[in-house]
Amino acid sequence: MADITAAAPRRRARRLNLRLWLPLLWLGTVALAALFAPLVAPHDPLMQDLMLERLPPSFMAGSEPGYWLGTDSLGRDVLSRMIHGARIALFVSVIAAATTCLFGSALGLVAGFFGGWWDRVISRLVDIWMAFPPVLFAVLLVAVMGTGLTSVIAAIALIDWTRFARVIRAETMVQARMDYVDSARIGGARRLATLISEILPNVLPSIIALLMLEMGIAVIVEAILSFVNLSISSDDPTWGSMIAEGRNAIHFAWWVLLFPLIALFLTVLSFSTLGEGLKQRFDPVLQ
Amino acid sequence: MTGSQTHPNTLDVMQLNIALPNGHRLLRDVSLSLRPGEVRVLVGESGAGKSMIGKAVLGILPQNLKVTEGEILLEGQHLNAMTPWTRRKTVAQSAALIPQDPLTALNPARRIGPQITDPLVRIHGWSRTKARETALALLDRVHIRDPKRVMESYPHELSGGMRQRVLIAAAFAPSPRLIVADEPTTALDVTVQKQILRLIRELQQETATAVLFVTHDMGVVAKVSQQVTVLFAGKVMEDAPTERIFTDPRHPYTRALIAATPSYADLDRPFSPVPQALIAELQDDIVRDDARHQGGAR
Amino acid sequence: MLLKTTLIRLLTTAVTLFGVAVVVFVLVRVAPGNPIAMMLPPGATEADIAALEALYGFDKSLPEQFVIWLGGVLQGDFGTSITLRRPVDELVLSRLPATLELSIMALVIAVALGTAIAVIGARRRGTATEVGLDLSSGAVLSVPDFLWGLVFVLLFGVLWPVLSISGRIDPQIEVDFTSNFYTFEGLLRGRLDVVQSTLSHMLMPALALALPLAAMIAQLLKQNLKEVLLQDYTTLARVRGFSETSVILREALRNALLPTLTLVGVQFTFLIGGTVIVERIFSYEGLGNMAIDAVINRDLPLIQGIVLLFAALFIVINLLVDLSYTLLNPRLRHG
Repeated sequence: MADITAAAPRRRARRLNLRLWLPLLWLGTVALAALFAPLVAPHDPLMQDLMLERLPPSFMAGSEPGYWLGTDSLGRDVLSRMIHGARIALFVSVIAAATTCLFGSALGLVAGFFGGWWDRVISRLVDIWMAFPPVLFAVLLVAVMGTGLTSVIAAIALIDWTRFARVIRAETMVQARMDYVDSARIGGARRLATLISEILPNVLPSIIALLMLEMGIAVIVEAILSFVNLSISSDDPTWGSMIAEGRNAIHFAWWVLLFPLIALFLTVLSFSTLGEGLKQRFDPVLQ
Repeated sequence: MTGSQTHPNTLDVMQLNIALPNGHRLLRDVSLSLRPGEVRVLVGESGAGKSMIGKAVLGILPQNLKVTEGEILLEGQHLNAMTPWTRRKTVAQSAALIPQDPLTALNPARRIGPQITDPLVRIHGWSRTKARETALALLDRVHIRDPKRVMESYPHELSGGMRQRVLIAAAFAPSPRLIVADEPTTALDVTVQKQILRLIRELQQETATAVLFVTHDMGVVAKVSQQVTVLFAGKVMEDAPTERIFTDPRHPYTRALIAATPSYADLDRPFSPVPQALIAELQDDIVRDDARHQGGAR
Repeated sequence: MLLKTTLIRLLTTAVTLFGVAVVVFVLVRVAPGNPIAMMLPPGATEADIAALEALYGFDKSLPEQFVIWLGGVLQGDFGTSITLRRPVDELVLSRLPATLELSIMALVIAVALGTAIAVIGARRRGTATEVGLDLSSGAVLSVPDFLWGLVFVLLFGVLWPVLSISGRIDPQIEVDFTSNFYTFEGLLRGRLDVVQSTLSHMLMPALALALPLAAMIAQLLKQNLKEVLLQDYTTLARVRGFSETSVILREALRNALLPTLTLVGVQFTFLIGGTVIVERIFSYEGLGNMAIDAVINRDLPLIQGIVLLFAALFIVINLLVDLSYTLLNPRLRHG
């Protein structure tokens, strides 16, 4: 038995590294593209040129040099739009996920630690929220608040806080029952101080994993809202609006759909893999 | 060999070795045999490897354990030489198991009836009616009141003792030639233990089934067995007829084991656990043995 | 005891539904933009607007409007759609069958696929096959239905165009059914052309919805199966001569499915939620597609009706899951 258990973590450690580095590589590329978009993008993402409409990507016949991933129905360069779209995607994912995380984790910690009415009210709210179809809820919220990045971010936070609240509440309840919390309280620590100094560090791995997951989800929600034309103005380059455009032109210019779709796919996969990897790495129990 | 062809033993275990993947041996050159209708008890403390022998015979060793050397013959047939499929069929045709814990050995989601009759119909090819009649008769034989109702029950509706009776009935149902009883009374109340032991003994005699009875309790040995194999650390210490084991134990470990069982210890002396010095001495022997074994293997 | 738990459960359900109604109402009413003004031609007078506002009840105070609206809802009156000028309940009920058929098909696919993968994984436990299945179901799980839908559009709409990528049924087919359950009614009436056409239109959106759930079922079920396969009764079944596969299917699967069921129930509601966007991708004429149109057109009564219906559907499904959990578990049924 002894040698089996000893071999397993070593094998896991090697795979875990790959699981951390591959997503980081992709997300790093996206982040760089987003940061230096105006420098990196070969063309103006908004420039329309009807002479250059629906050019196929460079590996196909009939392509035009300099338009590596082809152009859309209005002659706009797909690659440049994707690079500029990365800005919006990453911006939304970071800000929206952070907001959702702060909001949801705080409610989860409070509900799990203080219990009583806090818990009852927050849990009931979670129940009500879970009864809404999330996509429809998001669409509705953005319609109510008006389109724009702020609305998109607010909508994500308003919908997905339950994800954090549920998980963190459950974990906090487990932690709060542990002996060390009692000993801290007997030692004279105030309740809020106990929550922050004793419980928060122990639920942090879960928060980080959820945060990563949420960043992926935020990218998707933004894409969905752009897809139904409710994010920011439809001229602005977002992966979602490109996908919508590509879906409509599917029989004439499938590449307009394919490339942003790949970008979304890899980004979502990277965030969730990274979340899992980080959770395993930082979880004191799993180590 | 020709003699064993005409009147084969029900079970022959020859020089059986079982080891962990790292080569550490858990069973060391164990040999034993059962004649038809004979009851042999495997006795030893926990960790002696006694359950492992039964599991090896039935082919249900945990995945990380492997038979490294030795032969197992069930009614003269070499089990180790068979493909997994043939082996499974052969074992199912002639052997059965009475498990240790009746609480976990019945499927909680299925009624009792099909759990007894399913193998009879699907593996032994009986008709549903015959399987059901046999099951009802056997449930009655193991003193279960209202067998028809019990057949319709779920396991959680029965007490531990009743479940063990059901499992005994299920084991005897296909008329196996060999039954492995793996500490079948350990998980039960003391009062129930006696009834279950008597029941297994009675059924064994009525059907002339050979039983490999695994236990850690010398008290059980006297009640059920004809032959005893005493095991320590996966090694056979002594192999003898039951009456001789108690009147004339030859191995010091056997003597210590008898002395450790209250009712068989000399009543003038206080009942005493197996002495540490003896255990240490035996373990030294085994370590030397293993070193020799590994040297030989290389 | 069981009755009391059920009553409490029903009561909390009612509270949740009421909360949902409040949230929907408040959200929709604080939306900027006057839907009435948008409905009228440019030359409309103040009096025209006032008349129309009175017609839709917008001239009263918010709490009053809420009470009137809720009273109507309780009597089955969800108001009139502003853009489509027809009763909301009629519109919603005409679209609901399409969404239900899609969701059920997706659920069936997810359960079948997930169970098959779990059984194979459990059968080949400890081998490279299991590792491979684990890795791929992990990847499938983290990609949402939205992206799967688009992947299928590309795969089967462009690369290998075998299936239609938009609509619910071939428009050439004449359908004169009494209900909008095209597939079910088609089966009952023996109109196999209708069944075939709806199924082929449903396959891709259903698969997109099913994949993440299938992966989830596969993971959880396999883990449960592996635990059950260590139980003594499975060992006993092996001794009795049953093959590993038949031990898994006959002895282990039912016990392992029970804890999976709760997950499937909760996830089924998420799956239905996913129909909103997946229907949009495939221009499938269901409730979700209609909902997005309603939001874009600011059709308040219609939005309220649809969201409320979705919420009620979710809550009912959760209730049913609890109920079937009790029914399937003999221990709970007799205890």
